[in-house]
Amino acid sequence: MELRQIDELLWEAEPGGRTDLRVPARVFADSRLLAAIRYDDSLVQLQNVATLPGIVDAALAMPDIHAGYGFPVGAVAATELPDGVVSPGGVGYDINCGVRLLALPVEARELRKRKEKLVREIARAAPSRDGGLALRGGALDAVLRDGPRALVERHEIGTPDDVARTESEGRIEDADPAEVSDRARTRGEGQLGTMGSGNHFVELGRVERILDPGEAERFGLREGQVTALIHSGSRGLGHQVCTDFVRRMDAALPGYGIELPDRQLSCAPASSPEGRAYLAAMAAAANFAWANRHALAHGVRQAVARVLGPATAARTVQVYDVAHNVAKAERHGNRDLLVHRKGATRAFPGQPVFIPGSMGTSSWVLSGRPGSMERSFGTVCHGAGRRLSRTAARERIGGAELRKQLEAAGITVRCASNKGLAEEAPFAYKDVGRVVEVVERAGLAVRVAELRPIGVVKG
Amino acid sequence: MPYGWGEHTGELELWVTASSEREVFEEAVRAMAELLDDEGGERQSRDVAVAGADRAGLFAEWLEELAFLAETEGFVPERAEEVVLAPAGVTARVVGHRGAPPHLIKAVTLHRLAFEPDDGGWRARVVLDV
Repeated sequence: MELRQIDELLWEAEPGGRTDLRVPARVFADSRLLAAIRYDDSLVQLQNVATLPGIVDAALAMPDIHAGYGFPVGAVAATELPDGVVSPGGVGYDINCGVRLLALPVEARELRKRKEKLVREIARAAPSRDGGLALRGGALDAVLRDGPRALVERHEIGTPDDVARTESEGRIEDADPAEVSDRARTRGEGQLGTMGSGNHFVELGRVERILDPGEAERFGLREGQVTALIHSGSRGLGHQVCTDFVRRMDAALPGYGIELPDRQLSCAPASSPEGRAYLAAMAAAANFAWANRHALAHGVRQAVARVLGPATAARTVQVYDVAHNVAKAERHGNRDLLVHRKGATRAFPGQPVFIPGSMGTSSWVLSGRPGSMERSFGTVCHGAGRRLSRTAARERIGGAELRKQLEAAGITVRCASNKGLAEEAPFAYKDVGRVVEVVERAGLAVRVAELRPIGVVKG
Repeated sequence: MPYGWGEHTGELELWVTASSEREVFEEAVRAMAELLDDEGGERQSRDVAVAGADRAGLFAEWLEELAFLAETEGFVPERAEEVVLAPAGVTARVVGHRGAPPHLIKAVTLHRLAFEPDDGGWRARVVLDV
């Protein structure tokens, strides 16, 4: 695909004869990342996003973009309300997959032999599949409506301060539990407080270096400190909500006269019955996801209490929690827009943003900058971005060998599956340092702190 | 090889080939068993019935139901028996075991979904969100 350079770090995919694009498809990248991005179909998928009815300005991609299904991962698409479309695939199956960062009041060098025990206890307290809270009926509805606040008020899990330090305070308004199907509820039963599989994890880290002392102090981070980064989403409940509405909108497309280059982009006007129902169900699933990470963080604090003492657990502070798979109604300039972020993170000026690396490489804390509002609908990247398929990763290294390499690098690993571990090998991802550097140079966010992993519990 | 895994950067692409449409559905069960990679437990079976507007959609619903049973009941499918294909539905007895499969499959997507004649037989393709 031919690309035209707009400025130092922004590129536009040439239409190449396509007449169905409503807006340009643009990607933030430097030349080296661009070479990795061109390895797969992600730019064609980004052009497909540019065909959605009601999309404005441009279909945008972050430097961690890689091929997905329908939308590429690392994409931003804003449609104008009320009649621009909402696309469930533009949010993804893991509605409100996201990241929460906790800061412990201890330094990594103080942990010594207790690190292994802490990782083991976190693995017990933040399970991958079984052992979550089994909420049903009204208790589940309260979580779907109010997110983590319901866990604080009804179950004494976490604190009001945790809720305050969460994007949108952990609650998207207008969530309607009645729009969440019985099948979705069945899938989510017992999963609140569980990580799931794939690339989900809890990572213990050490603040390796501070790049912006002022913002680091504001976020409560200091060099040498231990952190816990939690990556998970809305589990089976959210997956099923997306499945239900992709199918429903796929069937409704002819009625709205919408033709798409990929069925997975299925969509409906946000103001339509299907659009309104999806947004109400998506909000409920997003609230469930915030409650899930809230419950996982509670598990981490319990593990900290068992290994380092209750006083240390009580002073373990939530830095923030960000979503990277969601659609939100936002006002940008004089327009009311529905901003789809699929593998992309909201980064309003001054807001903390967390960019996980891969096992064995650094993760990053950023702070949003005004440039994000001007250039990317207040959005930055969400991770390193995959470079190799899971199969290719497994062909290059076995899980046992990778485990040895990580342990030799001082990273304690807990993962039930060697196969799953190999699929998440660091070399399967792009260079996260380069990704965040591009984000900073593009004026979207500033780097605040680098976190080096010292322990990983993988889902 | 009746089934295999295609290259996809972020997800898993499954392709299945067989001499008949029915066998495509049967082979897909074996692919799921390999993917879930769970050791044997108590022998069990489930009667499965799903509907779909077209063959490709039906194939997606079939896999979706198997993933649902694995996630919610710990049922790991191994093979399908008594498979009956109708124009807009499929029924079967799926034999497998109760285990602790990973919650690996988030969803069965419509991206690149296909079910078409291929060299005298049939070929299906689907991308799974994992």
